[in-house]
Amino acid sequence: MSVELSPMILAIFLPLFGAIAAFIAPRAAWSIGLATLAATTGAVIWLARDVWAKGAVMLPLGGWGAPLGIDLRADGLSVAMLALTSAVGFLVSIAALDSLKDAARQRQYFWPLWLLLLTGMNGVYLSTDLFNLYVMIEVIALAAVGLTVLNGTRDALRAGLEYMYASILGALLFLMGVGFVYLHLGRLDFAGLAGAEVSGSLIAAMALMFVGLALKIALFPLHFWLPAAHANATAPASALLSGLVVKAALYIVLRLAQYMPFPSETLLTLVGLMGAGAVIWGGIQALRAERLKLLVAWSTVAQIGLIFVAFARAGEMGLTESWKAAALLILAHGVAKAAMFLAAGRIKDEIGHDVIRDLDRAPIRPTLAQFTFALAAISLIGLPPSLGFIGKWSLMEGAMAAGYWHWVAVTMAGTLLSVAYFSRVLTAFLRFDRVRAPVGEHQGWALADAAPLTLALAAIGLGLMAAPLLSFIEIGYPFGVAQ
Amino acid sequence: MTPDLIYGLCGVAVFGIGLVGALCAQDRLRRVLALKLCSVGAGFLLVVGAWRTPPATPDPVPHALVITGIVVMVSATAVALALIRRLQSLEADDER
Amino acid sequence: MTDPLVIFDVALALAIVALAVAALSVRDLFAMIVLFVVFGLLSALAWVRLSAPDVALAEAAIGAGVTGALLLKTLHHLRYVSGTLGQQAAYGVTPLTPVPIGVTLANAIFCGLITLGLAVAYLGAPAAGPGFDALVAEAMPRSGVDHPVTGVLLNFRAYDTLMEVVVLLAAVVAVWQIERGVSDAPAPVLGEVWQGFARLALPATVVVGTYLLWVGAEAPGGAFQGGAVLAAVGLLLLLTRAYVPQPTHRGIARGAFVLGTGVFALVALLVASGGRVAFEYPLEHAKTLILLIEGMVTISIAVTLAALFHGREPVAQTKGGRDDT
Repeated sequence: MSVELSPMILAIFLPLFGAIAAFIAPRAAWSIGLATLAATTGAVIWLARDVWAKGAVMLPLGGWGAPLGIDLRADGLSVAMLALTSAVGFLVSIAALDSLKDAARQRQYFWPLWLLLLTGMNGVYLSTDLFNLYVMIEVIALAAVGLTVLNGTRDALRAGLEYMYASILGALLFLMGVGFVYLHLGRLDFAGLAGAEVSGSLIAAMALMFVGLALKIALFPLHFWLPAAHANATAPASALLSGLVVKAALYIVLRLAQYMPFPSETLLTLVGLMGAGAVIWGGIQALRAERLKLLVAWSTVAQIGLIFVAFARAGEMGLTESWKAAALLILAHGVAKAAMFLAAGRIKDEIGHDVIRDLDRAPIRPTLAQFTFALAAISLIGLPPSLGFIGKWSLMEGAMAAGYWHWVAVTMAGTLLSVAYFSRVLTAFLRFDRVRAPVGEHQGWALADAAPLTLALAAIGLGLMAAPLLSFIEIGYPFGVAQ
Repeated sequence: MTPDLIYGLCGVAVFGIGLVGALCAQDRLRRVLALKLCSVGAGFLLVVGAWRTPPATPDPVPHALVITGIVVMVSATAVALALIRRLQSLEADDER
Repeated sequence: MTDPLVIFDVALALAIVALAVAALSVRDLFAMIVLFVVFGLLSALAWVRLSAPDVALAEAAIGAGVTGALLLKTLHHLRYVSGTLGQQAAYGVTPLTPVPIGVTLANAIFCGLITLGLAVAYLGAPAAGPGFDALVAEAMPRSGVDHPVTGVLLNFRAYDTLMEVVVLLAAVVAVWQIERGVSDAPAPVLGEVWQGFARLALPATVVVGTYLLWVGAEAPGGAFQGGAVLAAVGLLLLLTRAYVPQPTHRGIARGAFVLGTGVFALVALLVASGGRVAFEYPLEHAKTLILLIEGMVTISIAVTLAALFHGREPVAQTKGGRDDT
C-alpha cells in the first residue's frame, strides 16, 4: 500500500506540516522552515512539468468532484503564481535568517506564521471553489497580521489592527457575495459561474466580492491600511506582505474575471479609474514620504493601481488579452518589491534609520543593498529589459491598439511619478558632499545581501524570458471558455 | 410571508447595521462587534438560502459553510482582541 | 397573516435587528456585550426556525458564548490597564477623537443605500432556488455518516474543514505572538457561590460536550459544537483558577493545538492510495476515520478556544518585564 501523492496536494500540505513542525519545535524552526520552502519549491517544479506536458490538471478532493466536493486545478497562471510565491518566499526566508538572528522570540513565531501564510496562498492559487477561497483568505489574513506585528512596536500594532479590521471586513464582504452566488446558482465552483445568466443577485455578488477583494488588495480608495502596515512591519515580513500577500487577492480578481460574466464596459472603466487614482495618489504620497520604507509602501499602492489600469486598458473587448498584461505586472511587482523591501530593511539596519532626507549624511554606505534597491527601482519604474518594462509595454500596446489613449496617459504619468520618487532615494545614495565623517563603504555579510540582490537581478532578467513566460501562463487558460 | 423572506431581509439588515458600525464606530471593541454582526448577517443569507418549504429538508451544504464561517470568525475576533489588549497595555504604559 | 408562527417570525426578526442596533449604539461597553450575546442567542433561535439546528448550536456556543467571553475578558483587561476597573460604567476604552456628524451621517446613508441594494437583490433572487440537495442525498450512502451536515463537513467538503482548523491554529499562534510579554490583568475572581456552581457544572459540561461530539454522526451536533462546550470547561477551569497555565505546560499545549490539524491532514494524505485521491476515505473505514478525525479535532478546538480566551502564552513570571526580543 503506497500513498499516491499529487504535486498539488504537496504544494498545500508540505507548508502545513512544516508550520506544525516549526510551531512544536521552536528551536529547530528555521531549519524546518528552510527545508519546507525547498521541498515546496520542488513540488511546484514538479507541478510545472506536469502542466507543461499535459496542460491544466485537476484533482477532485475526496473523489466527489465539483460542485459537491472541491476540485483543485492548476493551469499556467496558477503555476506562475505558485512559482513566484515559493521562489520569492525562499529568498525572503534566507534573508530572514540574517535579519532576525538577534531576535529569538520573533524568529520563533516568524516561521510557523510564514509557513501558514504559504499554505493559505498556495491554497488560493489551486482552489476552484468560492467558499474555499474565503477560508483561504482568512488563513492568509490571520497569518499576515501576525507577521505585520512581529516586532511588537506600537506603530506596527496600530497598523496591524487597522489591517485586521480591513481584512476581516473584506473577507466578510466576500462571504456575503458567496451567499448571493449560492442564492442565484445553488453552487459555488468556478465551472458553475461560467455561463451563468446575469441577474440582480449575481451583480450584487460580484460587487460585494470585488469590493471585499479590493479592500484586501488595497486598491485606491480602499488603500488606507496598507502604507502603515507595510512600512512598520519588520523587513522580511514587509517583503512577504507587499511582494506576495497582496497578490493572492489580485489573483482571485483575475480568476473571477475569467469565470464571471462581465456586466458592462462602464464598470470596467470604473475599475480603471480606481487604478488611475491609485497611480496618481500613491505616487504623490510616495513623493511626500519622509521614511524610506513608507515610500516603498506607497509605491506598492501606485503599482497595484497600475495593475488595474492594465486590466481595464482595452475595454471589455480586450479583456481576453488584458489579463496577461496584468499577470506580467503582478509577477514583476512581486519579485521587485520583495527585493526592494529587503534592501530597504538592510539599509535601515546598517545606517540605523531610514529617514530619506538624512540618508546622504550617513557615513556608512551599504553599497550592495543600495545597488539592489536601484535594480529593483529599474524594474518598478519599467525600464528595459526588466519584467516591469514588458508588463508596462504590453499594457500600453493594448491600450493604443484599442485607441484608449487615456490609459496610456495614466501609465506615462505613473512612470514619471515613479522616476521622481525613486530618484529622491537614489540621489541620496549617490551624494557624498553632506557627510562630515569619512565615508566607510560598508561590506555587509554576503548572505544578507545575496537574497535581495538575487531577487532584483531576477526582476531584471525575467524580462528577457518574457516570451516563454507568457506562453506558459496561457496554458490551460482559454479566456472566456472554462476548462 | 414565509420565514425565508422574513429572515432573509433580517439578515441583510443586520449586515447593513454591522457595516455602518464597522465604518463609523470609534471604539476599538465596538468595531470588532460590528464586524461580528456582519458575519451573522452573511450567515443568515446562507441559512435562508438553504431553507426549503417543509416538509422538505433544507440543503445541508450552506449549513456546513456557516458553521465553518462561525469558527473562522471567532478566530479572527480572538486575534483582533489580542491586538487591542496589547495595544492598550502599551498605550497605558506611555501615559504613566 | 393569521398564522401565529408568522407573527412570531416577524417579531423575532424585528427583535434581532433592534438588538443589533442597540448593541452598536448603547454607550456602556458592558451593556454592549450583554446585548450582543442576547442578539447571538436570538439569531440562533431564528436559525432553529429555519431548520438549521447545527448552525444554531454552533452560533449559540461559539458565536454568542465564546465570542462573548472573549469580549468580556478583553473589556476587563482594558479597564484594568486604563484604571477604570472600579468605575460603574465604561464609556469606551479608546481615546476618541470626535468625528463630524456629517461624516457619520454620510457613512450611514452610504451603508443604507448598499443595504437597500442588497435587499432588492435578495428579493429578486429565486426563493428556495437550486441547491446541493439532490447531490447530497445521492452521495450520503457513500459518506460513512448519517447526518448530512456532518457528511458535508467531514467528507464532501472536508478540505474546507481542515483549512478552518488551520485558521484556528493560525489564530492561536498569532495571539501568542501578539501577547508575548503583556502583563496580565488579575483574572476576575468568581464569588463563592459561583465557585460552587462551577464545580457542579464542570462534569455536566464535559458530558454534554462529549455527547454532542458523539451524536454528530447521526443528529445535530459534532466536533465544533462539542469542542465549544468542552472549551467552556476550560474557561471555567481558568476562571476558578482550578487550572493555572504554567510555562512547563507549553509543550503539551502546542501539541494539543496541532493535534486536530495534524491528524486530519495525515488521514487525508494517507488514504490516497490504490487509485484513491486525498480525502477519499475507503467506504468500509469511513465512519471510523471520520470519528477519529472528529475526536482529535474536538480536543484541538476545545484547547484552542480556551487558549484564545486565556490569551498570552504562559511564560516564566518576569513581573512587568518584557522578553521582547
